Amino acid sequence: MTPNAASSASTGTGRRSFLASTAVAAAAVAGGMPLLSACGGADNGSRDGTTSGKNARKILPAYVASGVVKPDIPSRNGSSMGFTAKLDVGALETSVPKKLGKGGRVTVMSPFWGSPPKQDNPYYTSMNDLIGVDVQWRNQDGNTYDQKLGAVLASSDIPDVVVVPGWNMTGRIPSAIIGKFADLGPYLSGDRVKEYANLAAIPSDAWQRSLFGGKLMGLPMPASYVQNIVPLYRRDVFDKEGYEVPKSADEFTALCKEITRPRSKRWACGDMKWTAFNTFGVISGGEKALGWTVAGGKMINRIETPEYLEALEWARKLMAAGYVHPQFRLGKSQIGDPTPLFTSGELLIWNNDISNWYGVQASQITQNPGFKVWGMDLWAHDGGDPTFWAANPASVFAFVNKKASESVVRDVLAVANVTAAPYGTKEWMMTNYGVEGTHYTLKNGLPVKNDKGNNEVTNAFVMVASPAATIAHPDLPDYTKGMVEWQQRVGSFTRKSSFWGLQITEPSRYTNLADDFEQLEDDIVRGHKKIGDMQQAVSDWKRKGGDRLRDWYSELLDENGPAAS
Amino acid sequence: MTAVVDRPTGRPGRWAAPARPAWEEEPSKAGLAGKALVLSLACLAVLFPLWIVVVTSLSSRRTIDEAGGLVIVPRGITFIAYQELLGGGQVTRAAVVSILVTLAGTLFSMTVSVLCAYGLSRTGSLGHRWILMVLLATMFFSAGLIPTYLLVQSLGLTDTYLALILPSAVSVFNILVLRGFFMGISQELLDSARIDGAGDLRILWQIVVPLSRAVLAVITLFYAVGYWSAWFNASLYLNDQDKMPLQNVMIQLVQRQQQPVGLGQAIRTGQLSGLAVQMAVMVMALLPVAVLSPFVQKHFKKGMLTGAVKG
Amino acid sequence: MSHSTVPRSGTEAATPAKTPAASADATGARERRGGGRPGLRPRLRRDRVLILMTLPAVTLLLVFNYLPILGNVVAFQDYDPYVSDNGIVSILHSPFVGLENFRRIFEDPDFWGAVRNTLVLFLLQLVLFFPVPILLALLINSVVRPRVRAVAQAVLYLPHFFSWVLVIAVFQQMFGGAGMLSQLLRQHGYDGLDIMTDPHTFPFLVTAQSVWKDAGWGIIVFLAALASVPQDLYEAAAMDGAGRRRRMWHVTLPALRPVIALLLVLRVGDALTVGFEQILLQRDAVGPDAGEILDTFVWWNGVRNQDFGYAAAAGLIKGVVSIGLVLTANKVAHLMGEQGVYEK
Repeated sequence: MTPNAASSASTGTGRRSFLASTAVAAAAVAGGMPLLSACGGADNGSRDGTTSGKNARKILPAYVASGVVKPDIPSRNGSSMGFTAKLDVGALETSVPKKLGKGGRVTVMSPFWGSPPKQDNPYYTSMNDLIGVDVQWRNQDGNTYDQKLGAVLASSDIPDVVVVPGWNMTGRIPSAIIGKFADLGPYLSGDRVKEYANLAAIPSDAWQRSLFGGKLMGLPMPASYVQNIVPLYRRDVFDKEGYEVPKSADEFTALCKEITRPRSKRWACGDMKWTAFNTFGVISGGEKALGWTVAGGKMINRIETPEYLEALEWARKLMAAGYVHPQFRLGKSQIGDPTPLFTSGELLIWNNDISNWYGVQASQITQNPGFKVWGMDLWAHDGGDPTFWAANPASVFAFVNKKASESVVRDVLAVANVTAAPYGTKEWMMTNYGVEGTHYTLKNGLPVKNDKGNNEVTNAFVMVASPAATIAHPDLPDYTKGMVEWQQRVGSFTRKSSFWGLQITEPSRYTNLADDFEQLEDDIVRGHKKIGDMQQAVSDWKRKGGDRLRDWYSELLDENGPAAS
Repeated sequence: MTAVVDRPTGRPGRWAAPARPAWEEEPSKAGLAGKALVLSLACLAVLFPLWIVVVTSLSSRRTIDEAGGLVIVPRGITFIAYQELLGGGQVTRAAVVSILVTLAGTLFSMTVSVLCAYGLSRTGSLGHRWILMVLLATMFFSAGLIPTYLLVQSLGLTDTYLALILPSAVSVFNILVLRGFFMGISQELLDSARIDGAGDLRILWQIVVPLSRAVLAVITLFYAVGYWSAWFNASLYLNDQDKMPLQNVMIQLVQRQQQPVGLGQAIRTGQLSGLAVQMAVMVMALLPVAVLSPFVQKHFKKGMLTGAVKG
Repeated sequence: MSHSTVPRSGTEAATPAKTPAASADATGARERRGGGRPGLRPRLRRDRVLILMTLPAVTLLLVFNYLPILGNVVAFQDYDPYVSDNGIVSILHSPFVGLENFRRIFEDPDFWGAVRNTLVLFLLQLVLFFPVPILLALLINSVVRPRVRAVAQAVLYLPHFFSWVLVIAVFQQMFGGAGMLSQLLRQHGYDGLDIMTDPHTFPFLVTAQSVWKDAGWGIIVFLAALASVPQDLYEAAAMDGAGRRRRMWHVTLPALRPVIALLLVLRVGDALTVGFEQILLQRDAVGPDAGEILDTFVWWNGVRNQDFGYAAAAGLIKGVVSIGLVLTANKVAHLMGEQGVYEK
């Protein structure tokens, strides 16, 4: 996934003015729109619902597995594939025998977490050379991506490619996606995808998620369905101080107390909200539809569950007790990149996207040899067997502007076909490590990124499309192993909620309904609001459309049947 | 409107107190001390934070670590943060953008405003009251953020620098100040020029402008500071991060604590102090203003008040 | 609305200057003095150049200040920004919903929260900000050494020219969780303190920032008023045996009274505008409960949530109430015998 997705962790679903949205909802109701407009409908102009089953099979690309290199750790329990064997950089395979790019220019707008490299750096230009397309990046701060996304989609100046993460699909964005982006079906549906071998090797469940408004619109970034937030910790410091990795919520709190010494600028952790959700078994909040599931014969939403409140209360207590680094008291658009706080030891536990497990370690290798980051196993809050909820098998999509000419679309697909190249190929190596000598050097035959590599090869390109979920870090094979095994352990306790795997567009009148919940969560954790405010918000939510939305989802489930089988 | 600075001085020695009028009693020692204290504290409240910002920006990673963050007492000076920031890249580009937008915008605003102020400065000229009404009415209402945004977007100004200049190019207040000042210029002078056959443009350029240097300096400063400080329009209308001016980059780097493009790795690994870089960006934003505004200061009173109060 | 930053510079000092009224008077007088006016055509020929000179400014105002007024129709629509790629075209394609947006606003506790925060900030600024420039002006005015005065003025004016971004960054470095204050506290064995993210003290923080930035600049007006007091008044009062304090009370303050009254009234007229940029920059740090004001409410719902109709409706409410306030304030100013912004 996103390398520096530091904050996609703290991002989750977008937040929105809850009441403002109910206004729209009510306005729509007043306008007398039908409650349930055809689910799975493609051709009747309806924008809400989902596309699955037979309708989906008609437009999904064919799947042709690629067998370049066999994974050393195959995918299990929803984990990524892991590659740990020594990579022979001299004998990489070629997955794109013929340059598919026609030399056109493609502008890409994409969220970026952390510090993007300069334009026209050697990594970008070599990638462009390899693809045969002049890709121009319009990176936007990932933390505030939603502020720009809406404006760009409303303008006449939409870049050729726009990357939209699922958690930014709030408000009217889903309808904008359907209205403003191109149908890739004519290029990719069925056997047509075979022209792009690496795209054909993207698993179907990732493509399934790319169906919007009955059309194949997105180029997916396949991901492990094991949820992605890992409590990373400074293993070097833990070892030195003799701290033990906790096995329950109480142990965690006790550890925090032991670590925190504000006077010497040391705090135990960052905002632990997402870990709290996981360890308390709260239904996934990664995307709206994931938050619904049938429990005890009834359709429920995560915000209605007692676990939701318990998790928030626990995260609030951590912050109130002063264990959380003060930087995290800032709102999410102001936190910025807390990596330096973690690497300098101001905080020792930082829940983050799993890709940073490797990413942070790799960035320190050359300068700070003693530095060691590792991921904590997720515990159940009571110390028993945990329950985790699955994330979707793809949550980030690249879309092509509807106005793009065929040659631009082909160029975009050429880009995607290179960035989706599997591990063990020349294309994968270039996408993930850059140019030998410039971005990485061979140490004992293993590629190790240098500072330039860490600055420039920040995986902007993988936002356009990626191969089947892969963890492969030839320079740090024990990290690859650690990450995959972590996913497999967590995966063994992972359940799928009712709408897992589907791309669902809610009727527009409900789209803003839950948008303020993330803000409210953050306010509660920071002590600005009380748990009682959340209970009030939930009951308002039910009254203002939540209950009707529940009916809508129930009917959707009846029509489609459970996706996860 | 004269007295503030021009109060009877007459004594040599610029720091010496001028003669106290005979009727005024000697101030008490305690009173003087109190005044001095309050005034010093007020000035210190302004200068102390700036001092810290400047000193920290010039400190090495090591000094900053030893100080536990911000540095009060400089221990050795290094320009490394500035070298990194000004060596091309995000901050360099943002500074160039800010300078160019400020120059172009100020020139445009001044031209438009001076023309308009002069055009309205002859009382009794045709339509002059109507035009004045059009100007004045804007001081009472605002069309609102959303409609203005939709308009700018519809005009196709999104992602262009014109969006940073045009919507805020005219300050009615500034025009009124200029106009007030122009109206105070001796009519006889202008009339004689007119009799000599000079057109209005020539009168404006050759007589009015040279006579109005003080007020022009002040208004130029106002416009320039306005453009230099603006960030909201850029955040609203610019989508391309590479076009962002310095203030917006400062929001990203200082307020949101991101690392400058291309320097992330150096900061994450501790080769460069992130704090020094932040402070250096702040210094870059405040330096032009702090250097220029005191020069214009002596005109504030003269330019602003005479210009305005006349009318 | 302060999103056009430029015109805002100098509004503090502007107030006594906002005297087109005076100029209108003068105009009338001169016209009358001029006697019979020539016909339209010769006047047009004579003043053609003058009119042309005003055209650029007038055009800009018409386009960017007047034309958007029409855009407020989206307040009555369920505006969909994605119907087309042009805001105006989208207006034509969006359905009208009558007063629905307004009905919803009045039921929206967030809106009323924003109203409350706006008023709290306004009052706080009135009480805590307003007197500071007056006191500073009195202080500076009593300094007789010209060099000291000049230096003090230069220093105190300076922050006015800093951008809000910079001012808030400076405050963050002083009072933030990693700031100077926290650093000192920690070094002396106390826990750090983060004033920048504390919603309870946020109104005071915002006011303190305003004082730091603009109180110094605000003294210009009062210094001018003080300077205009004839010295003989002081002399006469002193001759009558009035001491320092009594002269202050009987000569200085009455001289300031009209300016103070005028500024106060005008401030009330502008009550709903309490620093959009300043607060928008800090809204997320304290959360919307404390950090949402009317202007940021509009921004959030419109720009952030793309709920333009709803946001425009809120903006329209603010705009209409503001016009009412400013007109009333001017009326009051007139009744008090001061120059307002406009003249009847």
